[in-house]
Amino acid sequence: MRTLPETQSQFRDALIQSDADAVAALRRLLVGGIDPQRRLSIHQRNYQKSLIEALLVKFPATGWLMGSAFVRQAAERFVCERPPTAPCIAEYGAEFPAFLSQELGSERAPYLRDFAELEWCVGQVSIALDRPPVTAEQFSEIDPNMLPNTFLTLQPGLHFLEARWPVDELITLYLTETAPDRFELPSSEVRIEVRGARGQFYLSRLDAAEFTFRKSIAGGHSIGDAAEFAINSSADFDPGQALAAMIAAQFITGINRDRE
Amino acid sequence: MKSIHRNPETAGIGLRLAHLAEMVATRPPTAWLEFHPENFLANPHAAELLSELSGRYAISLHTVGISIGSASGIDRQYLKRIRSLVDRIDPFLVSGHLAWSTYGNEYLNDLLPLPYNEESLSVVAVHISEVQDSLGRPYLIENPASYVGFSSSTIPEIEFLAEIVRRTGCQFLCDVSNIVVSGHNMGYDAHEYIDQFPADAIAEIHLGGFTPEEDPATPGAELWIDTHATAIAAESWDLYSYALRRFGWKPTLIEWDNDIPSLPTLLGEAASADEIARAIQSEAPYANAP
Repeated sequence: MRTLPETQSQFRDALIQSDADAVAALRRLLVGGIDPQRRLSIHQRNYQKSLIEALLVKFPATGWLMGSAFVRQAAERFVCERPPTAPCIAEYGAEFPAFLSQELGSERAPYLRDFAELEWCVGQVSIALDRPPVTAEQFSEIDPNMLPNTFLTLQPGLHFLEARWPVDELITLYLTETAPDRFELPSSEVRIEVRGARGQFYLSRLDAAEFTFRKSIAGGHSIGDAAEFAINSSADFDPGQALAAMIAAQFITGINRDRE
Repeated sequence: MKSIHRNPETAGIGLRLAHLAEMVATRPPTAWLEFHPENFLANPHAAELLSELSGRYAISLHTVGISIGSASGIDRQYLKRIRSLVDRIDPFLVSGHLAWSTYGNEYLNDLLPLPYNEESLSVVAVHISEVQDSLGRPYLIENPASYVGFSSSTIPEIEFLAEIVRRTGCQFLCDVSNIVVSGHNMGYDAHEYIDQFPADAIAEIHLGGFTPEEDPATPGAELWIDTHATAIAAESWDLYSYALRRFGWKPTLIEWDNDIPSLPTLLGEAASADEIARAIQSEAPYANAP
């Protein structure tokens, strides 16, 4: 008799990959109707449809950009090749932009990956919640000598995206429904800060030094290291001013002596 | 914010993200709400709104991601996340499914069938006990909607359920519509199934819509799919009446997950369930009447 692990392995392969060998192996095991293995199509459909629909809901702007048929076909392949590894649908799809950019037809839009990644970030920050920010008074209590070795926690609804195309302009056309008949998108590197919470979001462009500083802090680097990275990008960078701007924008939610 | 922690006296509705903002804004009259943690755990904004609702409504938690039937084990990290949510909301019921939905670290996003035999029974019983120990409360198990069975099954489903109770002390969520669907698809009598159901362990009833389509396994025959995409069918209302006469009143929930209707339509289905319950209670008051 087949063991439960063997049965579930075959069921999984039949479900996700429609694997013919797995379906054949289940034929003698299943009951229900005259030709029971055909009922596996119900479970195949449940798996595929729910995940494909979830991806289409998360990437409507990408569908607008590339055509919904292109995104749907990519989603159909994606759900077979990359099953979810987390229980919540909201967590599924982070790898979809990179996957899309490998699809046949993506070469006509070299900015596709950047665009879809921006859309993913917008979706993520829109469901975030703001935490109480650190005030200037709290910040002033840090011993200035310890400041370079201090780590900061930032608002959860903050993402930093470096793109090779001005995809923030492109997504704004979609969001404001102002797409002209013809739009030229010249290649140019942009650094975008995506900030949001409770259904709201906004996009800002940062210069290279400021972007490096904020992204480094968000990535878990100390203030000192982040400042050094930023100064490498621009010798004029002023860490004090950059920190003051982050405090004023209520970006900082925690001050830590150690890396989190 | 903790949920109003008492058993409701009328039917409730499944809380879906599509209705969340409207629920918060309008606070319609329904006794209780049931939510899927998978829709809220990774969505802090939705979780905040849920917390707000839990101050007004009794809440139950119905998970689709705890895979008690997986041979590869249950996701303990996920179980910790559920525990944290349970501590925050304090739902009056916590439930899941007699099914498997994970394989290794993959989430298959469907409720998949189990062979009913001693091997599965051991796996399921160990996992239910682990869930109950982790959550510190009874876990309700929902009977499945079935499209296929297994030739390796050696125990009838209803006996399998009864044995789970005996081994784990868990409770049941009796999905009446699943019995209608499975009875049709697998060829058993839904009323007999209700007659044999371990009634003492039932803590909740579900009703959901199903969709008939051509059976891919038997040309010309019809397969009923548990889509939760339509109004409750007459067959389910009839079996619900039968179940209430046998079990007495239990907290009853209307599930509608796809092609989601307006909130008033959903509340109307709950009102229909209450009407049936009142009619049956007037025939002969339940022993457990609230």
